[in-house]
Amino acid sequence: MITVSTDTKFVHLAWQREEKLLADVKYPMGSDPTGKVSRMFGVYDEGTGLALRGTFIISPEGKLLNAEVNYYNLGRNIDELLRKFKANLHLAKKPEEGCPAKWREEGDKTLKPSAKLVGRVYEALK
Amino acid sequence: MSEICECLGCNVGINVPDFKLETFDPSKGDFGEISLDTLKQNKKWTVLFFYPADFTFV
Repeated sequence: MITVSTDTKFVHLAWQREEKLLADVKYPMGSDPTGKVSRMFGVYDEGTGLALRGTFIISPEGKLLNAEVNYYNLGRNIDELLRKFKANLHLAKKPEEGCPAKWREEGDKTLKPSAKLVGRVYEALK
Repeated sequence: MSEICECLGCNVGINVPDFKLETFDPSKGDFGEISLDTLKQNKKWTVLFFYPADFTFV
């Protein structure tokens, strides 16, 4: 987990030490003052110089697996981020499977796309 | 619009080019640098979590 904003690393330090909610933060806080990385991911707002609320999951091989971007006024659901992360871990081990919409964690039903599944998703999920 | 969007957000499934970020790492209480190449070498999953600004809600 790496958080990224266009603030400098000095501001990150000051914020983390000042804000009590951040006392337990263990992840590195990335600094993108030029907006280079934010632009690369399409979350840089040229009008404000700020990054939108974008979340990206990248596999150990460097493949982009999920992208989600919210506008300024909507926070993210961490449960959904965790769900996606767990699903990615599962699918990395079992690439022949698929995690359906209601999949929440290891042990929940997955699907194996095949001719037999066509038109029978309801039965497969029961 | 005939222009193709080249930003990664629209290209799930592609291999992400290397990038580098300067960091403040609270677990070490120190500044550092992180790159995708290093994360890949260490076989790490990466979640990049962008937000508008420090001292605001995330």
